[in-house]
Amino acid sequence: MLLFRSEEHVMRWSERRGNSMGATLTPEQGWRLAKEWYENRLSPDWTRKTPDEAQTVFDSIGLVGAFWAMT
Amino acid sequence: MVAPPGDAATLDRDVRLAVYRKIVDEGSPPTVSGVADGLGITTSEIEASFHRLAEDHVLVLAPGTSSIWMASPFSAIPTPFQVEVGDRRYFGNCIWDALGIPVCLRMDGRIGTSCPDCSEPLSLDVRDGSLDASSDHVIHFEVPAARWWDDIGST
Repeated sequence: MLLFRSEEHVMRWSERRGNSMGATLTPEQGWRLAKEWYENRLSPDWTRKTPDEAQTVFDSIGLVGAFWAMT
Repeated sequence: MVAPPGDAATLDRDVRLAVYRKIVDEGSPPTVSGVADGLGITTSEIEASFHRLAEDHVLVLAPGTSSIWMASPFSAIPTPFQVEVGDRRYFGNCIWDALGIPVCLRMDGRIGTSCPDCSEPLSLDVRDGSLDASSDHVIHFEVPAARWWDDIGST
């Protein structure tokens, strides 16, 4: 998961590598994802998200479709 | 409090907390013997705990070793994702993890990286618990979610 200057730079980089575009997020979506994922990581009660819980997080941020399917 | 003998889940929780405490305080993860000394438990029990935590995708160990490579969002080795939080510097495993460091520390921070296409330095700032996202930067995921753990190093 990398940060690019803009969508155009992602396209150029992907073409050069001969890879498909993958998926892109706005920084704000990335921030929301980081908050959902890591907010309680240092807590004694933290547990790893189940695939269903992860899917709920993705859905809530608008990350939907086959690329974001956990299984 | 240290786990009673035989309670692997409690031991793994104590080990996890000890690992993160050391990373947060010193910027680098502990060794097996460092955790064993701290918790007063044998190195073989701690080593087994490290490997259980790795199997559960809580830690990532360097291949073929019992050395911690990743305790997400933190990386044990320098990466292109530097995170400054107060007077401390950490490394994230990716841009998602880099954003996760100020989140889990509940502090402001600055993430510094560079565009993989053009090498231009890029930064994201976290202030007062929010992302200062006044840019047109884009976060890119190359690998679909279902395959992230096929090769977590390249993911």
